[in-house]
Amino acid sequence: MSRAGGLLKGTVIRKSGFQSTQQSRSATPQVASSSTSITANIPLGGGVKDATGKTAEYSVHLSLLLKSMEDQCPVCKSDRYLNPKLRLLVSACYHKMCESCIDRLFTLGPAPCPICNKTLRKLAFMPQTFEDLGVEKEVAVRRRLAKDFNKKREDFPDLKTYNDYLEDVEDITFNLINDIDIAKTEARIAKFRQDNAAIIEANIQRDESYASSLREKEEGERREREETARRLAQEEEEQRILREIERQQLIDKLEHSDKDARKLVAKSRAERLKQQQARAAALGTTTQRDASKAIRTRAAQSTIPDPPHVPLQDDWYAYEDKFTLRSGGYYDPISEAVRRDADGIMRAGGYVVEDIWERAIRTAVAGLDILPLSGFPIKEATPQATAARDVDVEMVGVPG
Amino acid sequence: MSESNTPSSSSSRPLYEGSTQFRNWRFSQEQLRETRTKLSVAAAKQIKDAFETDSARPFSRRSCRGQPGSSSDVSFLAPEEEQLLVKLYVGKVSQLCGHFRFPEEVEATAISYLKRFYLRNTVMDWHPKNVMLTALFLATKTTNHPIPVEAYTSTIPKTTPSDVLDLEFLVAQSLDFEFNVWHAHRALWGIYLDIQSLPDGMVDVSELQDVYRNSAKHVRASRLTDAELIYAPSQIALASLSMVNPNLAQAWGQSKGSDAILPVIDEIKSMITSDGQAPDVERVREVDRRLRICKNPEKIVGSKAYLAKKAAEEAKEQEKRMKKAEENRRNMDSGNPFGDELGSGDGDDPNLDDDD
Repeated sequence: MSRAGGLLKGTVIRKSGFQSTQQSRSATPQVASSSTSITANIPLGGGVKDATGKTAEYSVHLSLLLKSMEDQCPVCKSDRYLNPKLRLLVSACYHKMCESCIDRLFTLGPAPCPICNKTLRKLAFMPQTFEDLGVEKEVAVRRRLAKDFNKKREDFPDLKTYNDYLEDVEDITFNLINDIDIAKTEARIAKFRQDNAAIIEANIQRDESYASSLREKEEGERREREETARRLAQEEEEQRILREIERQQLIDKLEHSDKDARKLVAKSRAERLKQQQARAAALGTTTQRDASKAIRTRAAQSTIPDPPHVPLQDDWYAYEDKFTLRSGGYYDPISEAVRRDADGIMRAGGYVVEDIWERAIRTAVAGLDILPLSGFPIKEATPQATAARDVDVEMVGVPG
Repeated sequence: MSESNTPSSSSSRPLYEGSTQFRNWRFSQEQLRETRTKLSVAAAKQIKDAFETDSARPFSRRSCRGQPGSSSDVSFLAPEEEQLLVKLYVGKVSQLCGHFRFPEEVEATAISYLKRFYLRNTVMDWHPKNVMLTALFLATKTTNHPIPVEAYTSTIPKTTPSDVLDLEFLVAQSLDFEFNVWHAHRALWGIYLDIQSLPDGMVDVSELQDVYRNSAKHVRASRLTDAELIYAPSQIALASLSMVNPNLAQAWGQSKGSDAILPVIDEIKSMITSDGQAPDVERVREVDRRLRICKNPEKIVGSKAYLAKKAAEEAKEQEKRMKKAEENRRNMDSGNPFGDELGSGDGDDPNLDDDD
């Protein structure tokens, strides 16, 4: 069944034409032969008409790969056990029914809905797009209203009037969704349409023109990119050919001349360099380079100058006068493995062996003159108080 | 790093003196002795009480059954004996590190942690065996040579991850969360490097390697002593060097302008020579035997004293919670759900904090 295939592939059900009719006819053998009208020309979802045709039908959605055994037609109470190809469609009054029931009830013309007695035609049945029928209804209502109520903030003198307009629209939407005062609400919609017919039209035009301008810009950019890519490819080709020729010339020269080979090679290289520079100068600045240059100069002018860099200032004495690091390095078997390691696996990024040596020597001279405590000296301040001020400025865990 | 132009100006503090090792973990001999004695006495008293609780219950596990006052028969460990046990386990740290191939830094850090831990706790409360494992594990983490706890405990027989992890917070807390330690072996390395900068003629490079190796042995021996709790690591390193080649050490010390410190170096040398050996196995075994008897029952999970202590703590917590609930209820009833202004309410209990 194409639906099954679509299920597995997650393919989309498009706004159909002749094609899907063919497919669906073979696909639904249980449904009576006049079932074409169900599946032919189906807009997607209960009133959810997706122009891009990308919204998949609800039951075909990948997340519902596991068709529930509990789905049941509320009219005939058949479930997937009795009818494995059970497919529930939604009416215009948002009631679900299986295809066979729809067929049975509505083939001979409009008939009342078995649940709510609203008169329906067979055509009025759509496949479901959303899991929640409430959502389905709401989306349909909003889609419909959005066609007429398309004013934007710019159309209003101030924020309050805009917000009032939005509130009215929401009010109408709410009424329609929840079946409150339908007649009055429809009257409101009609009135709005009448009053603002011109503006609505203008807005439609505006939206369309905006969309088309976007599309054009995209097109233009894409074409530009292709252009530059093509040009670059061309240049590459030319360069390559030129280089080939030059190499060939060089080989010939080497063959036939009796001058020093090295000098010949050097001469040819110098010539090539000169040619490259000449070409670059000839090209001058392309438009691209111009544009980027312009951007850079503009950025440079508009940036705020950096405040002068103030290095970290503290007053720690690090025993610098007690030692000097030997510039020639040290004879040091301990760090030899790390230093010799060719691939640098043992050295972390930023590892500099001089830092390690410095740390070792610093430790060797630190506190050398401190006399040990004796007796019971009194601590001057609590550790907490001093800790707030003094930072333990150690480098822990440096390799080596 | 120093902003001042004159190197040893009085306004800038030397780096080592900013470290917690210098500020908080530096004692005099007398202080160490006093701390340990005080700790031991206090622990003995507490454990005695715990024994009372423990033996007062009908089915006591203690060897002295059901007789109050029998705990006075138990002799607790003296501070020197405790230190003996700690020393033994300090030696075991070295063995473990060799087994795991941890770098020397890990070993030295773990030993420091162990020593510091037993300045705050007693052996009778926490047996050094598990504390040693936890301290080593913690040291691997703080020195940036971590290994997963499963890998750690799987190689050590009869250990589970929970043995190690249960004590971790206690160890960290006993260290006041001050994990960075300056080590003597690094200072020795520094001396070894800096010696090469001495004017030629003083230093014989071919011998230097052997000198360094032997000095390193003395540094390892110094870890068994209290040296790091009294002296600076640079001083310990110089002392180790002095034990191998006194002239060289003196020359280097003089080049640093530290002549006055030489008597201190001699002190350290004598300390390493006298205390730097592994403890006598027989004595330690005896201490261990006695420890088994005088262990604090409160810390043994499942014993009566342990449960009693837990119950007491629970009761205290419960009381705090009730008080807080009562105060809240009073606030709600009085129509002021956020309570009165700070300090004005008479329901303020200074013992309550935000977590209660």
